[in-house]
Amino acid sequence: MNIIVCVKQVPDTTEVKMNPETNTIIREGVESVVNPFDAFAIEEGLKIKDVYGGKVTALSMGIPDAVQMLKEILALGVDDAVLLSDRKFAGADSLATAYALSLGVKKINDFDLIICGKQATDGDTAQVGPSLAEKLGISHCTYVSHIEEIGSDYIRVKKLVDDGYEIIELSLPAVITVEKGINRPRIPSIKHFKNALEKEVLIWTTADVAADSQLIGLSGSPTQVVRTFIPQYNKEIQILEGTPDQQAKDLMEKLAAENFLGCE
Amino acid sequence: MKMVDNLIRTSMQEYEEYLRDESRLAGTAQSISFPKDENEILEILAALSQDKIPITVQGARTGIAGGAAPESGHILNLNKMDQILGLRYDENLKTFLLKVQTGVLLSEIREALLKKTFAVSNWSQKSLDALELLKNSRTYFFSPDPTETSASIGGMVACNASGARSFKYGSTRKHIEALRIILVDGDTIFVRRGEHKTQGRSFIVKTESGRTIEGNVPKYMMPNVKNASGYYVEDDMDLVDVFIGCEGTLGIITEIDLRLLPHPKYIYCLTTFFTSEDKALKYIRAVREKEEKPASIEYFNHKALNLLREQKKSKPAFSDILDMPDHFHTAVYVEYHGDLEEAVTNMILEASKAIVACGGREEDTWLALNTQTMQQLHAFRHAVPESVNLLIDERRKTEPNLTKLGTDMAVPDEQLEEIIDLYNTCLQKEGLDSVTFGHIGNNHVHVNILPRNQDDYAKGKSLYTKWASEVIKMGGTVSAEHGIGKMKKTLLKEMLGEEGINEMKALKALFDVDFRLNPGNLF
Repeated sequence: MNIIVCVKQVPDTTEVKMNPETNTIIREGVESVVNPFDAFAIEEGLKIKDVYGGKVTALSMGIPDAVQMLKEILALGVDDAVLLSDRKFAGADSLATAYALSLGVKKINDFDLIICGKQATDGDTAQVGPSLAEKLGISHCTYVSHIEEIGSDYIRVKKLVDDGYEIIELSLPAVITVEKGINRPRIPSIKHFKNALEKEVLIWTTADVAADSQLIGLSGSPTQVVRTFIPQYNKEIQILEGTPDQQAKDLMEKLAAENFLGCE
Repeated sequence: MKMVDNLIRTSMQEYEEYLRDESRLAGTAQSISFPKDENEILEILAALSQDKIPITVQGARTGIAGGAAPESGHILNLNKMDQILGLRYDENLKTFLLKVQTGVLLSEIREALLKKTFAVSNWSQKSLDALELLKNSRTYFFSPDPTETSASIGGMVACNASGARSFKYGSTRKHIEALRIILVDGDTIFVRRGEHKTQGRSFIVKTESGRTIEGNVPKYMMPNVKNASGYYVEDDMDLVDVFIGCEGTLGIITEIDLRLLPHPKYIYCLTTFFTSEDKALKYIRAVREKEEKPASIEYFNHKALNLLREQKKSKPAFSDILDMPDHFHTAVYVEYHGDLEEAVTNMILEASKAIVACGGREEDTWLALNTQTMQQLHAFRHAVPESVNLLIDERRKTEPNLTKLGTDMAVPDEQLEEIIDLYNTCLQKEGLDSVTFGHIGNNHVHVNILPRNQDDYAKGKSLYTKWASEVIKMGGTVSAEHGIGKMKKTLLKEMLGEEGINEMKALKALFDVDFRLNPGNLF
């Protein structure tokens, strides 16, 4: 069973800092990492390979620096890694990204299943996986929390929904996007690290995948970001002075005055 | 009301937590203060001097030898002296020096250096210029890495803290450039490395008031191992080294100049699982004798791995620990630092050769190539002592007086196998539950005896004393990193002898004639 796992390099931060003048994310000094949801996608691909054989190929679109991330992914036991990297890909929204990835998938050609993380932690759109499936004209299922069964031409998965889960069967080839917690991602071993040292990350340009220039990068992106901004909250901090008794009394009065104490 | 009355608080029922430290040793005190600067310390000292009240100097109370638990008198807690005061670039040392107040936490220093962001409102122009230079330079770091990052820098200096990476970089001592110290009589001394040295074992130091303090440091020889037992001494030494590791007994450290190091660009970490302890020990010898020294070499015996397996099954907090197949018997963690990817890769490949040569397998390894995975491996390391504490807490429900008995001894390189064998044989003979882990690169493992009942506890205590005697005979130390505090005084006496202790006392008397500072620590 041949699997393609789509991965994205994202800034590693839980404390996003914005440049107040340009309203863009400050990326300096922030390490780049594989999108945490994609780590579950990679592990799921490797688990399937462990059972059914075949190979796992990691596919990403990004700046040349993403090679480092892909090398680390190879050290997990992934067989091949491909990076779509070209200035013309830059500025892509989820639609243009899905188009570019679909070209990468077509060039890889031999696959039964594509696994993506459910979303990327920087954009949070969760659209690339399903869009990719549409571009390829194959079935897909999002928010997969467990793979129930894999047959010669189908895959049965558990999909998380708001009030429970659904069991869905898809014909292969298909795209699935996986939830956090579907597995526990492995750590590279020296054995795979040494294998990875022998391998090259393939870098494909727009020409290599014969991309239509109108469908990639900024020109292929209908999403228009008009403005990004940091939400403003009207927060006010008051420090109460006095003895603990006095402070408690003042606090109750202030809460009552703001109607925080419910009924009379 | 005099200012000092605001500083010294006597309502001790409000400050009960300050009567103990992480060792769980609890004492008593009649008053406590939280000075914010040197002037406040001087006010407090003046008030306490009238009745010669004993003073226990406290940092963040993360020590586990009872050094910060008071015996009586006053607690001088330095938590509020928490400012990073300035930065300079030293042309001779070719590095940055960070000046900090004593109560700054290790975690705060790390974060500020990582983000290159400091509260600079009181910084001099010179410091601001140095900060500009730092911002345009690579990342710098302060290397000592005790497990507890909420330790205060003053506490780390007082007990010469170390941690896993001290295998390569050395303990806190190696990274201290200068100290400013208030003596119990209110006088102040400033000692800088290279500027205040002993002649042989004799020294003269001038206080800021112009007084001369003259005397000798003890004559004993330090064991040639990682060590945190007693005053540090050697011939022609830097006086600053006497104060580092003095456990608060000589003076009150108020300001510290830290030497920073360029942060390595690449850090690769490798945990290897062996099918036997013998294979693991062979591997440890092999990697530590390689030309490229690892930053740390850590060890987990099979009982430590089994405890983690058990905790993983029953405690959700440990569920993220990766599965360990049954043949994973003993684990060794090594960490390699370097500025070139190729160099660090080669270190891993060299380690790999050693693994195979010692009977291990390349697939039985966890290799961290990035910060996230490294944190996972560190979490695995920290899960061992956490599991021990949880287990003991559980046992205390039925036997409230039980505590773990954790050793902190180190021996010379030649005795590595001998000491591990001694620990194993004794534990088996006494039928005691235990786990062993720690800094095996320095032949410094923490054997944690886990008593099930009072009988086990008594057996464990007597083993502890027996091991200390054996370790001393091997030329080792009774405490390699936690310090002596109030809990290992008898062991220190055995190690240094009556004469050594008396020489230490004579040194203390030069700085603290009435023995008022940190009574109960060291002797």
